[in-house]
Amino acid sequence: MQEFVQYLFSGVTNGAVYAVIALGFSMLYSSTRLINFAQGEFVMIGALSVISFWKGLKLPLPLAFAGAVGVAALAGLLLDRLAIRKVKKPHPIVLVIITVGASILLRGVAMIVWGKDAHGSPSFSDSPPFEFLGATLLPQSLWILFITLMVVAGLHIFHRKSLTGRAMVACAISKKAAAIVGIPTERMVQLAFAMSAAMGGIGGVLIAPISMSSYDVGMNLGLKGFCAAMIGGLGSSWGAILGGLLLGILEALGVGFLSSGLKDAVAFVLLLLILYFRPSGILGKAAVERF
Amino acid sequence: MRYLIIIAAATAAGFGLSSPYLLQLITFIGINTLLALGLNMLMGYAGQISLGHAAFFGLGAYTTGVLTVHYHWSPWAALAAAIILTVIVAFLIALPLLQLSGFYLGMGTLGFGMIANVVFRQWSALTGGDSGLVGIPSLDLGPVSLSSSRNYLLLVWAVVTLFIFLCERLIDSRIGRALKAVHDSERAASSMGIDTGRLKVQIFVLSALMAAIAGFLYAHFVSFISPGTFDFIFSVRLVTMVVIGGMASIWGSLLGAAVLTLLPEALGFFAQYEMIVYGLVLIVIMIVLPQGLFRGIQDIYGQTKFSGQSPSAGSKD
Amino acid sequence: MAKRNSVGKALPPVLKIESVSKSFGGIKALGGVSFEIPSGGIHALIGPNGAGKTTLLNLVTGAFSADSGRIVFGGSELRGMKAHERVAIGIARTFQNIEMFGSMNVLDNVLVGRHVKTRCGFLGAMARFPGIAREEKQARARALELLDFMGILDAAYWRSCDLPFGWQRFLEIARALATGPKILLLDEPASGLNAVETAKLAVLLRRIRHSGISLLLIEHDMNLVMDIADRILVLNHGVAIAEGTPREIQANESVICAYLGRDLVGA
Repeated sequence: MQEFVQYLFSGVTNGAVYAVIALGFSMLYSSTRLINFAQGEFVMIGALSVISFWKGLKLPLPLAFAGAVGVAALAGLLLDRLAIRKVKKPHPIVLVIITVGASILLRGVAMIVWGKDAHGSPSFSDSPPFEFLGATLLPQSLWILFITLMVVAGLHIFHRKSLTGRAMVACAISKKAAAIVGIPTERMVQLAFAMSAAMGGIGGVLIAPISMSSYDVGMNLGLKGFCAAMIGGLGSSWGAILGGLLLGILEALGVGFLSSGLKDAVAFVLLLLILYFRPSGILGKAAVERF
Repeated sequence: MRYLIIIAAATAAGFGLSSPYLLQLITFIGINTLLALGLNMLMGYAGQISLGHAAFFGLGAYTTGVLTVHYHWSPWAALAAAIILTVIVAFLIALPLLQLSGFYLGMGTLGFGMIANVVFRQWSALTGGDSGLVGIPSLDLGPVSLSSSRNYLLLVWAVVTLFIFLCERLIDSRIGRALKAVHDSERAASSMGIDTGRLKVQIFVLSALMAAIAGFLYAHFVSFISPGTFDFIFSVRLVTMVVIGGMASIWGSLLGAAVLTLLPEALGFFAQYEMIVYGLVLIVIMIVLPQGLFRGIQDIYGQTKFSGQSPSAGSKD
Repeated sequence: MAKRNSVGKALPPVLKIESVSKSFGGIKALGGVSFEIPSGGIHALIGPNGAGKTTLLNLVTGAFSADSGRIVFGGSELRGMKAHERVAIGIARTFQNIEMFGSMNVLDNVLVGRHVKTRCGFLGAMARFPGIAREEKQARARALELLDFMGILDAAYWRSCDLPFGWQRFLEIARALATGPKILLLDEPASGLNAVETAKLAVLLRRIRHSGISLLLIEHDMNLVMDIADRILVLNHGVAIAEGTPREIQANESVICAYLGRDLVGA
């Protein structure tokens, strides 16, 4: 039982990170109907950047955090302006290949900048792990949960209360209608790219202290984030959160009760299952495009 | 007619070159051509995508590796087993996935590729895990030993030539037209009575089959395989080959394979920048020349014949 | 008013729509529409935009299923039959927005239409058995025949996207005819055609009818409709408001109201 609680904690911790990454996927999909295969690389960039800024340049944590997220957001922006926007025929296959190309490109650049080694990061606070319900809880987990909640709340307020946020929602519902009422849809798309990349970056910063980061962690994390988004229903913010937590917990249980080598496989198998049986996800109402 | 050129070139290379390094290189080009050709049929002609084709390559390699090393099967029996297994797996993967749109198909095949890689790594009792599988025997055709670089080169290129021949025949037939129709407009293709779902599955299975055969040839060539070869980067490499060669016809696969096999060798420092190059190539080609994937892969020669022609003249050969 | 065959026996209607309804979300596109298309006739479907005409067409071709009601073709009910299977039993259609197979030339476009009448599979294509070669030759001959019939034989080897618009429409019809249909469903075939091309279309449609194929067309060009249709069905807001010969329809009050919006009382 105690083991179970332990797995639950680690599952929720990882799950929160997956949720943030999934929010990035969902947000971009809502606004552009695009699935960004490079999303995972923004996570990687966030993780490695915060390590460079915080440990390397010795900047204070909040600044390093913001800087890392900024770098990721910038990368997302560049992806939109330099690649996606230039495509004349936005056929899904073309867009898939472009984002895959961007993913590989970012990875290659990261390898040059940060090398092939794995880098670790200290926890956000120095307090030691403590006991809770008979299991050990890392303070970093609390940080992760807290920041994730802030992000979710922030997004909620942004989309409901701010003018820009509501404009984005309008674009997501119907670009044509939004354009007609004067919303600068291109700018909204750019914003969506920047924000979804920022989500990825935040996920990276959060996960940096609890796992080793290197230039190639992006693919795995991205895929898991996508899986979480699909589980909950692509395009749904609550779905992203639900999916993330569910994935995290299932993964932790899998590692605990099956084998640690199969940890990654859990997400991929879940992904295939969702694609096979319920592509619209648990919460998603949007019909999946058939062709 | 053009096949004679390949056969001639391959034979010339095989007998003319003595450097084992060059012979090996040309053999690898052949194996990659087979892979690219299969993927080209799926992506270029049928307009689908697979981001996990390395999995089928690995499936072919590991099936024959495991059967010949652990169970001492004859390689040719192992080939049959590899083909059957791959067809089954490809069928199971394709059936549900190919009903989904481009993005989901991309993710699904990516996920599948990852799962396959995990299996290759984790099932160490069979596959040797991360340390790989050693001691895969070389091939022989009856009395003729195929262990020498030269003979293996000829074998590989004989297989490649055969498949180019078969694929060209396929493209220039009722099936080929149906494939191009599905690529151009699935809705219209369906309205012509084409069972688009079934066709897409069939072509997926064919391309997986070709990848598995390439895997078989690879395993018996290098005699040692490890999971690191059959990863996502390799799948991306295959896609890049198809994209590069996409503008020309089936022969584009040969072009793409040759370029991406030779480039890393030619540029010593390439290894460092490999990913940047692939990434840039993919992005740039998709922006500048996406018609490679759209125009249904006309022969460059054929296309210029068309556009130069006055509409009232002409007949097709 | 069933047609009669050579010995005077009444031919069954080729298509029967019985109380068919279809809703999308909250919108009722069709509410209980019924009609029959006799064998070998030209039936037109008219009505204001949004009346449900294309929805009805899509139900017949199998793009989606009706919520209730039956569609019977040549005696068998179509429910559950997939779209591509319906082509094989003789239902062909053209689209409002032409969807050419842009990567192929004109002849190959028509040859795609022969798909359901030919059998060559993967193995056959690679092995090229003698039967296959013969089948291919016959298919080509038929395709060229159809191009000639539609008057665009000269463009046989052009890239399909190089065709002028009017010829693209004719190509679409040729392609649909290649499937060997018993009934041809045309979605606004005259849309985008000039007067000359429309006149040519009328001639062609009559010739198609003459060859024994029934036609159901959705059209907005009233001249064309009144000229060639045997019977007309008028839809408005998903409901059939009139059915009859062109004469009868032209005089029908509710039809006039539907199109012109005049109040029935005091018309």
